Amino acid sequence: MSQKPKIAFFQCQWCLYSQEDQNWVDTQLPKNIHLTKSPCTGRINPLYILNAVQGGADGVMISGCMPEQCHFKTGNMAARRQLEEFNDFLDHIGYEKQRVRFVWLDLQDRGIIQKQLAQFEKDLEALGPATNLVTRVKIAEGELNA
Amino acid sequence: MPDIEAIKSEAKRLLQEGVVEVVVAFKPGDTPLHPQPAFFTSVDEVDNLVYNGLCQNNLATFLTRIPKDKKVGMLVRGCENRSVNALIVEKQKSRDDLFLVGIPCEGIIDWRKIVERVGEAVLAVSENDYEVIIETRDGQYSFYKNELFHESCLRCSHRNPISADVIIGEPVPETNQDLANTVVERFDSQAIEERYASFQKEAERCIRCYACREACPMCYCTECFVDHIEPRWTESGATPAGMQGWHIVRAFHQTGRCTDCGACERACPMDIKMTYLTEKLNYDMRKKYNFETGLDIETQPPFATVTLDDKNRFTV
Repeated sequence: MSQKPKIAFFQCQWCLYSQEDQNWVDTQLPKNIHLTKSPCTGRINPLYILNAVQGGADGVMISGCMPEQCHFKTGNMAARRQLEEFNDFLDHIGYEKQRVRFVWLDLQDRGIIQKQLAQFEKDLEALGPATNLVTRVKIAEGELNA
Repeated sequence: MPDIEAIKSEAKRLLQEGVVEVVVAFKPGDTPLHPQPAFFTSVDEVDNLVYNGLCQNNLATFLTRIPKDKKVGMLVRGCENRSVNALIVEKQKSRDDLFLVGIPCEGIIDWRKIVERVGEAVLAVSENDYEVIIETRDGQYSFYKNELFHESCLRCSHRNPISADVIIGEPVPETNQDLANTVVERFDSQAIEERYASFQKEAERCIRCYACREACPMCYCTECFVDHIEPRWTESGATPAGMQGWHIVRAFHQTGRCTDCGACERACPMDIKMTYLTEKLNYDMRKKYNFETGLDIETQPPFATVTLDDKNRFTV
């Protein structure tokens, strides 16, 4: 792959407990990673993932909190059920399962997110660019959506 | 075959005694292949009621469109009964306001399979226990029922209504879920490119008429995600992204709610196969959460419940 894989990165705004990690994600993310922060993983609608996939993301990474550590008590558990099933469903119709990855972060974790993103990028490079389900027509500047 | 006179007399009794205000059932349609759903509010109208294998709609669809406080009588087969239960779980109707007339179902005859075999000029259709006899201008044809059943009905494992107030006709033998599982497993055993190719082939014929949505009992949102303008969740035109997005998300919204009645597929004017999508989700719900839709009126679907056991279910 000549270019680096494009990664859509969905992050629960509470999951990075260490300030350094959060600063790194906020300011120093490589250009091939697109960050979307959400109030909780439970807020991540499967439609967000589908939008990323159709828009040409080679991989989708979702980071959230461990069970029982959710800021909203059970948001992450509900998200796990939904998003995991959505991942299986996308695999059923042709978007490889390995292209969606979940990172569940513990209170004590430091520097995990950088490692995980680097590992994910490496794995995606091995998989090659995504072609299935990438169907969105690119919008030219100033044009309206279809 | 259930006795049509018994259904009529039961419907008449319900209206006469004031048990219900409206009976939802079928009446003869424009062609013999399409009996259409009908709402009977007086005893005289009930003579018009029909029931046969070609009644292809899922009547539970109309449950959410009738005012909530009305007492409704409804003809239910196995799948409709489960859809009604699922709607009760989602608090769309109170069980006290319902009277379910159960009909053990042998299967729904797919009108497309008849058209494929004899053409569209069908004059009359009649059926006995084993055969469907079709009269056309060219002559008379007869087919075994098994040939003509819809795919969803062939793999159905809940043919008898499970919580009807009264059941008309003899119970039919139940089958197990092996066939439904095999269908999914066979599709999943293909290579990923083949799976995508078949999905693409089906989705690209979509004309975005949303007939599948209208036919589905579980699609009752007042505003569907595709109708949103701000924010626009998915492309609203008949573009590849829009068509695929619609098929993916429509199916996904049925997770743990679909009863695999196949009404969406029979309603589709473009003959798009789509139950292989919802069947996969049903399969996963069975395997992962041991859950089947609409078996009772209390159990919440998996996506609406969270337990601490989940901790062990998802490895980090």
